[in-house]
Amino acid sequence: MQAALGAPDPSGTRRPGLFGWLLMTPMLLWLFAFVVAPTLILLVYSFCERDDLGQVVYSFTWDNYRRIFFDSDTGEFGTTYFTVFVRSVIYAGLTTVICLVVGYPVAWSIGRAPESRRNLLLTLVMIPFWTSFLIRTYAWITILSTNGLLNSFLQYTKLIEEPFDMLYTPGAVVLGLVYSYLPFLILPVYGSVEKLDNSLVEAAFDLGAGPVRAFQKVIIPLTQPGIVAGVLLVFIPAIGMFAISQLMGGGTDPTIGEVIQNQFMQARDWPFGAALGMTLVVMFAGAFWFTSRRQAAVPG
Amino acid sequence: MKIIRLILALTLLAATAVPSYGQAKKKQVLNLFCWSEYVPQEVIDGFTKETGIKVNTENYASNEEMLSKLLAGGSKYDLIQPSEYTIEALIKKEKLDALTLENIPNLKNLDPKFTKMPHDPEGKYSVPWMAGTVGIVVNTAKVKTPITGYKDVFAGTHKRRIVVLNDSREIVSWALATLGISANDMTPENLEKAKPILATWLPQVKVYDSDSPKTALLNGDVDLGIVWSGEAAILWKKNKKFSYVLPAEGAHQFIDSLAIPKGAPNKGNAEKFINYILKPEVSVLISGEFPYTNPNAEAVKLLKPEQRDNPASYPPSAPKLETFKDIGAAAKDIDKLVTAIKGRK
Repeated sequence: MQAALGAPDPSGTRRPGLFGWLLMTPMLLWLFAFVVAPTLILLVYSFCERDDLGQVVYSFTWDNYRRIFFDSDTGEFGTTYFTVFVRSVIYAGLTTVICLVVGYPVAWSIGRAPESRRNLLLTLVMIPFWTSFLIRTYAWITILSTNGLLNSFLQYTKLIEEPFDMLYTPGAVVLGLVYSYLPFLILPVYGSVEKLDNSLVEAAFDLGAGPVRAFQKVIIPLTQPGIVAGVLLVFIPAIGMFAISQLMGGGTDPTIGEVIQNQFMQARDWPFGAALGMTLVVMFAGAFWFTSRRQAAVPG
Repeated sequence: MKIIRLILALTLLAATAVPSYGQAKKKQVLNLFCWSEYVPQEVIDGFTKETGIKVNTENYASNEEMLSKLLAGGSKYDLIQPSEYTIEALIKKEKLDALTLENIPNLKNLDPKFTKMPHDPEGKYSVPWMAGTVGIVVNTAKVKTPITGYKDVFAGTHKRRIVVLNDSREIVSWALATLGISANDMTPENLEKAKPILATWLPQVKVYDSDSPKTALLNGDVDLGIVWSGEAAILWKKNKKFSYVLPAEGAHQFIDSLAIPKGAPNKGNAEKFINYILKPEVSVLISGEFPYTNPNAEAVKLLKPEQRDNPASYPPSAPKLETFKDIGAAAKDIDKLVTAIKGRK
């Protein structure tokens, strides 16, 4: 936008002019209509009550938030929803770590590949997105179930006698999450790797750094913006995901996404669902603040 | 600031531009709000062909979703398809229009067993579409011990080989049934009594699935299931090894019905549709695609023998069957109870 205004402002703090605002209007409208307004509605709902039919009644109460953290009968600190939050964070955290370990080398090799081949490799990463997410998840059910493709193959090749229990386990949930979100990590990291100046890596080697040290002290800091963006893009949606834990995990260990969905459907308790949703938003904001602060603290 | 005001104005404009239904003034229409996968396209086409009335369908996946969309206003529906406890709640809140029974002569085809039930004692507001039960499916190729009720399913010998509906109210009602307590008695004391039972039951469950519990059974991931009778009927049709058992402790019978919401713009057309689906030859088409229990006695006579012999659709003997009543705000306590116990090992 600043380029459109002529010379870039070196301080980066100039307020946008009229033309700048005009260019931003579509995005601002979008953000307002689909992010700000719904969040405000959620915020209002989270302080409301419900009637017998499940309609929202506009009378102020803290009760929904109290119910998240305290047991309604005893008034003591309640663990029901806390456990659900923790479980969701563990799933999402595990997913993010695996995505990072698997995705970083992939992004690195794509970014270092000859330029003519990069587009092809990137297309390969994107191809799964051409199919609907739900269909891809159902495909995993066909692969992992007891009479599924993988078990049949292993039995046919006499590698195993009895079929393995793969579907409807926590492992299946993490597998599904990693599969769905891996491209969200690869793409931003690739962006950073592609921009990486190779002479800096060479300089590190010339100055006597081994491969490990060069990776630690030069490559990681230089690709950190991509890593941070990728981690956030994986971690945040993975916390709220409910379809995968339901379909591939069998719903035995409810995640926060499932519990929120239940409030809007079965329990007919929109205000409580809204309160859970707002708590999640605050957690996201906290995670974002934490990572962006850390990023600022490390010289890049 | 001017720009911000402009943005606000634009947003308001966008918010007021509610999509209109786009129905032609002269053409007769019926706005049908029904379950997904419950009204065969063949039936809708046949109705349009016979009456010239165009049917606009919109689908929902649960009674709760239907309620929230209906109560939010906005869209005008002529005909909805609620289950028994939702009908009761809607009648209580005066959200349903009474039917003009003279316009629906085919009501005489209904089996009196399914009319004037507790949720609509005078039969003024609703007409049964399909009935069904929630019962136990046993893969007899894997489970050799006799299964007669919930207690046998959760005896501990089938740990992690069980699929159940992902529906907190259903699950709690099964636990109450083993104590001889009615599914409609969801008081805090009774929930407290159900708690220890659920604490031993739920860790044995491998899959919670309300949409397609037959998948886990077909794929061999589980051997037992507590599922909708329609799902069980489809399993039995595919393979006779899947037998259906109505739990000895008592089972939930649901009655999915048609009803007209207050303020429906095309009430007459809605009644024509109800009368149309009550024709035996039309009702049979519904049974063909969705093998629940058909409440239409004349239609049942037209069913093929293998359809009538399906033990899940037409159970030979029934223990105590109970319909659900509206439990209002207790739904949130039930949901919390089940959420707290799920995930415990």
